[in-house]
Amino acid sequence: MAKNKTPLLDQLESGPWPSFVSDMKQQAEARAKNENNVEYQIPVDVVDDLLGVLELSYVDGETHWKHGGIVGVFGYGGGVIGRYCDQPEMFPGVAHFHTMRVAQPGGKFYKTDYLRQLCDLWDFRGSGLTNMHGSTGDIILLGTTTPQLEEIFFELTHKMDQDLGGSGSNLRTPADCIGQARCEWACYDTQDLCYQLTIDYQDELHRPAFPYKFKFKFDGCPNCCVASIARADMAFVGTWKDDIRIDQDAVKAYVEGDVKPNGNAHAGRDWGPFDIAKEVLDLCPTECMRYENGKLEINNRECVRCMHCINVMPRALRPGVHGGLSILVGAKAPILDGAQMGSLLIPFVEVNKESGYEEIKNVIEPIWDWWMEEGKNRERLGELMKRKGFQALLEAVGVDAMPQHVSEPRHNPYIFWKEEEVPGGFEMDINAFRKRHLR
Amino acid sequence: MEYEEQKQLIVDTLKKKEKTKSKWYFSDLAKILDLKPREAKKIVTKMVEEEVLVFWSSGSTSMYGLKGAGKQSAAEHEEG
Amino acid sequence: MAFISSGYDPKSPMENRVTDIGPRKYDEFYPPVIAKNKGKWLYHEILEPGVLVHVSETGDEVYTVRVGGARLMSVMLIREICDIADKHCDGYVRWTTRNNIEFMVDSKDKVKPLIEDLESRKFDAGSYKFPVGGTGAGITNIVHTQGWIHCHTPATDASGPVKAAMDVLFDDFKDMRMPAQLRVSLACCLNMCGAVHCSDIAMLGYHRKPPMVDHEYLDKMCEIPLAIAACPTAAIKPKKVEIDGKTLNSVDVNNSRCMYCGNCYTMCPCLPLMDKEGDGVVLMVGGKVSNSRSAPKFSKVAVAFLPNTAPRWPETTDAIKKIVEVYAADARKYERLGEWAERIGWERFFEKCELEFTHHLIDDFRDPAYYTWRQTTNFKF
Repeated sequence: MAKNKTPLLDQLESGPWPSFVSDMKQQAEARAKNENNVEYQIPVDVVDDLLGVLELSYVDGETHWKHGGIVGVFGYGGGVIGRYCDQPEMFPGVAHFHTMRVAQPGGKFYKTDYLRQLCDLWDFRGSGLTNMHGSTGDIILLGTTTPQLEEIFFELTHKMDQDLGGSGSNLRTPADCIGQARCEWACYDTQDLCYQLTIDYQDELHRPAFPYKFKFKFDGCPNCCVASIARADMAFVGTWKDDIRIDQDAVKAYVEGDVKPNGNAHAGRDWGPFDIAKEVLDLCPTECMRYENGKLEINNRECVRCMHCINVMPRALRPGVHGGLSILVGAKAPILDGAQMGSLLIPFVEVNKESGYEEIKNVIEPIWDWWMEEGKNRERLGELMKRKGFQALLEAVGVDAMPQHVSEPRHNPYIFWKEEEVPGGFEMDINAFRKRHLR
Repeated sequence: MEYEEQKQLIVDTLKKKEKTKSKWYFSDLAKILDLKPREAKKIVTKMVEEEVLVFWSSGSTSMYGLKGAGKQSAAEHEEG
Repeated sequence: MAFISSGYDPKSPMENRVTDIGPRKYDEFYPPVIAKNKGKWLYHEILEPGVLVHVSETGDEVYTVRVGGARLMSVMLIREICDIADKHCDGYVRWTTRNNIEFMVDSKDKVKPLIEDLESRKFDAGSYKFPVGGTGAGITNIVHTQGWIHCHTPATDASGPVKAAMDVLFDDFKDMRMPAQLRVSLACCLNMCGAVHCSDIAMLGYHRKPPMVDHEYLDKMCEIPLAIAACPTAAIKPKKVEIDGKTLNSVDVNNSRCMYCGNCYTMCPCLPLMDKEGDGVVLMVGGKVSNSRSAPKFSKVAVAFLPNTAPRWPETTDAIKKIVEVYAADARKYERLGEWAERIGWERFFEKCELEFTHHLIDDFRDPAYYTWRQTTNFKF
């Protein structure tokens, strides 16, 4: 018998899509029964009371949570989000209901023994409710009490070889796409770069000294499945330098209808026979492709590597073999000047595992130094770039300007010249001037 | 300046303002120390480990304060 | 409920402390077929909605069955996922960035029993636990934030509207009839913990009322300079108020400058802004993150406000369904929603989708606004 009546939430149990309400109810019931005799370290009715407080929000149209900023694990400035219910007497089971962010493995691959271990820990010391996963990518353990935070951290680090993720003015838990693990388009090993930088920058991740949050995201190709270009202060997007690899026989197979285009992604509707001109050549943004006499030609010098033709004919076309990545900086979603997309800073950098990714760190660290010194409190990198100008960023990183940095040159001639750029500097002789021009 | 002096400088400065302001951004602390951010971080981290300073997090932003200081400390019913 | 120590000693927190070890390394969790073929994949194909095959240059194949799931997930359900993975996939499983779960097997004959097992599992009340789908030119799972389940500043719920929307869009989760993939997202307030600013369709929770000021308690519970500094639009100023003959320190909110972000409430619990009538959903459309064909695009506001009608948000799901159907019928193959809207023109988008264009939809927020006004005589009647 459910502890709290939830007539509104109950309506979210119907319909085909997996119902989080049904899942919470089965968890509440299992906790109450406790068939495995778990010595629950937080209230047994935590899930019942979470359903109760959520139902109350459905009635009130308002949240019932308060923020708490003090709780955390010792020595870390991030990884725990404090929450308190604003109706603790009605719902004592969720009076304290803090979240812990657990750093997820690359590609979000798991072995079940690890997951079971995590489930046992969270059943025992928390609500048994999670997010798989949070927006940034962490495993989210949803709801525990303050005394359990250190205990959970101790068990995670000692028994599971597992650390917390980031929150606050830290490097946030970096996230990657599935990459070369199971994707033919990944131009570099996203998971290794993500892992290595995560490990090398643990101090930045746990001990806040940045003006605000900072996100790394790693996409293996310009399709950007983890949305790095839109979400990450530094986006690492795979690309290539040489020619798109073409299998002419496979191209012919597409043209002749033997292979379905786009990996069969359009199978739900009859779009008619495949038309290479309409579906590939005409949609190429640079019009750098030709199909003549059964042969596909790509003028690779003009190609901008948008991925469309490769997406449509994955069996015939592959990215080049000289892979690397582009670095775009300053993306973010909310507030100040509105959303910002990442801006291209480094068109191409080699991804060199042997060097410990030194070439990439040589871009990251000067940016951090610049932002930590120049950034205002709560100013994202993209906002600092807007305030100080792209040139200031180039100077900080030691990169020369190039046309790839802009979509078009500036619209105004109001250039702030530096004194050293003008012959003779800014000091001019007024007396000499007066010899040429009367007062 | 030695670490102990630097620590005292931060404690004194934060105590002076404690009545109106108990939470400080990292950059404020770096300014008090008059050090580059990376140098200042070493001092601040040590002070956290010694339980002189504690973190406060809005979820999106982090701040630092003297342990036990501030009005929210009491409001959250948690010890420092 | 006796307290059981993990071994941690609160008196000496640094003793025996393990820190800075990061996540588990990715390759500890690779299924053997992935470990063997990493970097050697040749191509992939979608065999049916939710089922992919990737073919390696070694001749190996990996079959992936993708299922939808609620991102709010109990350990009970995760254990069930583990049972399925143990039974069919040698104990390996993964999640996608869009809260889908992927079960991988290394030969084709293992696919059918896996699908049958997944599709047969339902919650007691009837919904699927693991619906197969979410691939190709269809509508995959919605990425979202916490909402009323756990956040202190949400303007809408997250799990509820997502469940309601996915029920409405369910047929397209299991089909691939769209002109291109269609990505839906939800963030429960404008702080956008889940990025909704580049989605084909986005639901964004939005407050419409500036915060209340709990003058009597504000100075007792909050630090006024922090509340003032938290405001991104400098709308908060210190103010003295008279209550019961006593002069109290408090703040004044300049309502016309407030953008309802709730940042002040995070710093100061005496500035709450949630309100049943004030809060609701902004519907945004036309964003994308892929560089394919055209540059990544921001989402644009299509409907300025829809009410929070719990538990199923019918106004919001109706509007989404309408936009999806018009797009599906009108767009060209491969054309993302935003590319379609730009090709036909936004005036046509509003006409075809039967959405009212109101003054709220013209940008007036800072610099970028100007670049969205029409600066040409080219328009459609």
